[in-house]
Amino acid sequence: MEFELDEEQRMLRRTVRETVAKVRPQPEDRQWETYRSLGWLEAPPLELALILEELGYAADPTPFLATATWFAPLTGRLPEGSGTAVFDGVGRYVLEADRADEVALLTKGGVTVVPGADLGAQRVGILDPHVHVAHVDAQALSAGVPDLALTGLAATAVGACRRVLDLVLAHVKQRTQFGQVLGSFQAVKHKAADMHVAVERARALTHFSALTIAEDDPRRTKAAHMAKAAAGECQRLVFRHGLQLFGAMGFTWENELQLHLKRAQACDLLLGTASAHRKALLTA
Amino acid sequence: MKLADDPEVEEFRAQFSAFLDARLPTEAEARERSHSSAHVPDWARRWQRTLFEHGWLLPGQPPEYGGRGATLPQQLAHLEELARRRIYHSFNPQGLGIIAASLLTFGTEEQKTRWAVPILRAEITAALGMSEPEAGSDLASLRTRAVLDGDTFTVNGQKIWTSGAHDADVLLTFVRTDPGAPKHKGISALLIPTAAEGVVRRPFGSIAAEDDHDFNEVFLTDVRVPRENLVGPLNAGWRVANGSLGHERTLLWLSYAERLQDLVRDAGDAGAGQEWYATLLMDLTALRLLGHRQLGPNRNAAEISVLKLLGSEAVQSASLHALEAHGADALAHPARTGPYHHMHHEDFVSSWFERYARSFAGTIAGGTSEIQRNIIAERILGLPR
Repeated sequence: MEFELDEEQRMLRRTVRETVAKVRPQPEDRQWETYRSLGWLEAPPLELALILEELGYAADPTPFLATATWFAPLTGRLPEGSGTAVFDGVGRYVLEADRADEVALLTKGGVTVVPGADLGAQRVGILDPHVHVAHVDAQALSAGVPDLALTGLAATAVGACRRVLDLVLAHVKQRTQFGQVLGSFQAVKHKAADMHVAVERARALTHFSALTIAEDDPRRTKAAHMAKAAAGECQRLVFRHGLQLFGAMGFTWENELQLHLKRAQACDLLLGTASAHRKALLTA
Repeated sequence: MKLADDPEVEEFRAQFSAFLDARLPTEAEARERSHSSAHVPDWARRWQRTLFEHGWLLPGQPPEYGGRGATLPQQLAHLEELARRRIYHSFNPQGLGIIAASLLTFGTEEQKTRWAVPILRAEITAALGMSEPEAGSDLASLRTRAVLDGDTFTVNGQKIWTSGAHDADVLLTFVRTDPGAPKHKGISALLIPTAAEGVVRRPFGSIAAEDDHDFNEVFLTDVRVPRENLVGPLNAGWRVANGSLGHERTLLWLSYAERLQDLVRDAGDAGAGQEWYATLLMDLTALRLLGHRQLGPNRNAAEISVLKLLGSEAVQSASLHALEAHGADALAHPARTGPYHHMHHEDFVSSWFERYARSFAGTIAGGTSEIQRNIIAERILGLPR
């Protein structure tokens, strides 16, 4: 096995990083148009995971995640506009269902695509202000979540966790107390190190998941559960240590830390938490 | 990125596999068991020599040192194949992986011939004299003193935790040769034969059993060592020490992967349907993935700390879960918790308690978990020292 990004993939990651940083301050529909026009929605799984990690890093407000990893794998195509899907037969907390142009419904008889406007979905307020979720009245739906949908949430969570870690590192390198930078205290260092290890572990399993999807390897479903569970575990640790290390400053609306903590947590709670996916791994 | 191995790695693995099928000692031959990390039964010495002569002992080395110039991915395949079959290639792992390997990097031609090759051919065994009663994590503060007079060092001091010293023929010993220099700059590496006058070794029991003798105290009193036994330049011992621990460190994670794999097998019944068992599977997969990433050109020495921390703590956590899952049955000691294999001397008579207790070797030896976290924070995340 070769488990290193090749030159092209590293270049893609650099390009994505730069583009997202440039585009993120623009209005939301402009961001979405840019990503669509760049063809990122059509990226193969591994490249898609790299893109989603960067979008997660930037608290992306667009319907990219649901369009690329919920709608597309069910229908085998991209929607007119944005898309999402209902997998779990309950239709609660469906990403982007309030504004997606097309919604794929996974039923026992196959996949049905309906215009989003027909669903009468109601957006539900949640902790992350940029994540759109809605309840859908969907009946007679069977269970089954595509691997890519799990991988997509995992990659997004990894990106958000990386962002939290970066913000925390910047904070503890400049803030001084007792005449010392916070980052020189071992209690701080050890928490930061544990956050790093958790991010590396979740990211490796996310890349592996994307790779098994790309190669249609028989381990792909197990790998998707591992990625989602690891991202959830990572989120739990990074949230706890990240908010703690930031101190009172992280507890405010003005500080952007809250945005990324919420994105990471939302990715864990959607489509099953770490615990649910650990259990699912054992029977997959 | 791709899932499959390169063809030259597959080919290499197949060759080694065929060699093992043909040459592995039988169960009858391999009856005598090793009782310390430097005690090598005669059959195991013959086995190591066979590997040496066929270039399968340290495949990354040239043929004269028991190898075949293998690439790093091929070396990984070699160790994976040994682990998969539960085979040891040497019953003196530190002699092979640290001492002989250090001599091949830092030693003179004469030292390679006189010491490295006999260790590789299992004619002699070696142990590593690093830690001292007052120098553990802070290894560079070691105080064992060596004074050079003419062509002879006189060594006085004490080592501890010296694994296998009582069964070893030679110790690679780190000593202070310049007490006036900053602590990292006054250390040298010396080969000290255990038969030398003034060397006293006292093995002591481990947490597992009073007669489980691998640890030693080594007392050195006016031991005379010829200058030709100095490894590397005088006062450059810290570089040798880092190199010593650096040897095979790139693949050190594999020993944790092997233990995790053993736990996957041995704790399968107890772990059925348990979330901790899923965590174990995830830790093993993540460790392998991150380890493979270290094979590429972008590897970073500090990343080895990530692998050690992740691997050793995963082993410990899963061992505790397995212990608890067995309830009061886990008290039985000794107990058979793994399958018997004549080429693998661990676990099969270790109780779950012993396996959990031994997992602390991973989080304490070779740089504690606390030291690894400091390295990650300082060298990867850029926090101040």
